[in-house]
Amino acid sequence: MLANITRLDLRLRRRSAIGYAAGMALYTLIVVALYPSFKNSTSLDSLSGSTAAALFGVTGKLTSSSGWLNGNVYGNFFPLIMLLMTIGYGAACLTGQDEDGTLALIVALPMRRRAILGQKLCAMAVQALLLAAATTACVIIGRGFQLTVSAGDAVAIAASLTLMGLDFGLVTMAVGSFTGRRGSALGIASALAAASYLLNSLASTISAIRPGRYLSLFYWSVGNDQITNGVSVGDFAVLVGAGLCALTAAVIAFRGADLN
Amino acid sequence: MTTAIETSGLTKTYDGAVAVSELSLRVATGQVFGFLGPNGAGKSTTIRMLMALQRPTRGRATLLGLDAGAQSVEVHRRVGYLPGDLELFARLTGRQHIDWFGRSHGGVDQSFVRQLLERFLVVVDRPVRELSKGNRQKIGLVLAFMHQPELLILDEPSSGLDPLMRHEFESLLRETAAEGRTVFLSSHELDEVQRTADRIGIIRAGKLVAEDTVEGLRRAAPQKMEVRFRHPVNPGVLTALNGVTVTQSAGRRMTLDVTGEIGPVLKVIASNDPVDLTSRPADLDELFLSFYRTSPEQEASHAG
Repeated sequence: MLANITRLDLRLRRRSAIGYAAGMALYTLIVVALYPSFKNSTSLDSLSGSTAAALFGVTGKLTSSSGWLNGNVYGNFFPLIMLLMTIGYGAACLTGQDEDGTLALIVALPMRRRAILGQKLCAMAVQALLLAAATTACVIIGRGFQLTVSAGDAVAIAASLTLMGLDFGLVTMAVGSFTGRRGSALGIASALAAASYLLNSLASTISAIRPGRYLSLFYWSVGNDQITNGVSVGDFAVLVGAGLCALTAAVIAFRGADLN
Repeated sequence: MTTAIETSGLTKTYDGAVAVSELSLRVATGQVFGFLGPNGAGKSTTIRMLMALQRPTRGRATLLGLDAGAQSVEVHRRVGYLPGDLELFARLTGRQHIDWFGRSHGGVDQSFVRQLLERFLVVVDRPVRELSKGNRQKIGLVLAFMHQPELLILDEPSSGLDPLMRHEFESLLRETAAEGRTVFLSSHELDEVQRTADRIGIIRAGKLVAEDTVEGLRRAAPQKMEVRFRHPVNPGVLTALNGVTVTQSAGRRMTLDVTGEIGPVLKVIASNDPVDLTSRPADLDELFLSFYRTSPEQEASHAG
């Protein structure tokens, strides 16, 4: 009985989970392999500090190892793909299955709804971890391409991005269960993620919104130069705390949801 | 006689629109109960409340003596459920569905599953997206019956089945009831229900308008009378009587539905110089249709 729903969902999403992980791994490999070619192009460093660069997640010197990884992986593509996956799954796994009519078979099993949601969370975590592991492995391979990055920091930042992905995935589940609509879940969660990204990115160059970055989960996962400074216990605490709040909201919404 | 399902004042509203209203019914253990009604009458909403997929706005339901909502885990362990408009996981095969479902119920008797598969000629080795509606429905039936539950709740179970499979399904229902298990099935097809059900409940616009045995409903069915008079007769002389509806009147010919006592009707007819009279009980079909557009007095005389 344990994890039966997790296994089912992983089977149903096997192709997309592998596709996300393989695509992100390939992209990361290309990024790290290109680093030696750009390492000495100091003209790239002049990009940093502009609002446009901040908008694309570029912080610090692009030619430094941390700047290169932030500007090409951690500041943009990795979280983007992570959020595409977790928000996509968050919308599909409850409201999506309800709209498709398959959730009735699951909810009619002898299980509490919170246990069903717990198993869905496990399935989401496995998919997110697969993506994070594939990306991190390729970042570490980058040490063979003159990148200076510690395996510990790479693992920690992957963990913080995984947590952020799960946070938004849980928000999607909560919104979906509350509204009963997959479209609303996708739309609202994506808008929140985009706002969170912009708030963190622009806060580095626009002083007026600088205090607002604390509201952004991006700040607590990659936005505070964690690739250089490491992910602090405080960062993890905020990400886990946000996840617990979203999980509580999702459980309450799903328990009270009318299903088809 | 023990009770398998009991609802009291079960009500569901959506944004103020009433889907099910004050539904109170009782299904005895070992019965096949047919829940009839037109599309949109509230059958599926009622079933979803029994299965705790939806929360009642008011009222409560107990299944096998357990609260449908608060004790849903235990209820679901002992109940087999077939959703209306069944949807399966398109990429999985029938076998994968059956194995997954068996594990979710903590293991099932595989020899019984094999019997069901053979009996319904279930296609188990192809993804369900490649199967016809009927073949998918057969997988749904296997999922509902395979853990040999004490109570089966089946929403439009024979939908999509060919006549041979319908016959097989009806045999299975009779065997299930003979073993002392209970079946609650919804349908909008009277024929199917009257062949298999011990009792019938009819729901219309969210309200239970009749609940009785098939024979009981037959007895309560109005008499259809056709009268030919020697001279044209004003229908008003008959409609003035209680329980008489003139359904057709063309000069000297008149067709009536009579639900009350027949004596006063015959007296009025006799005093108007009849030439010919035939009387027959209404078909169950006609009765069924009459409930769909029935008057409040008829509802009161049958419900309960």
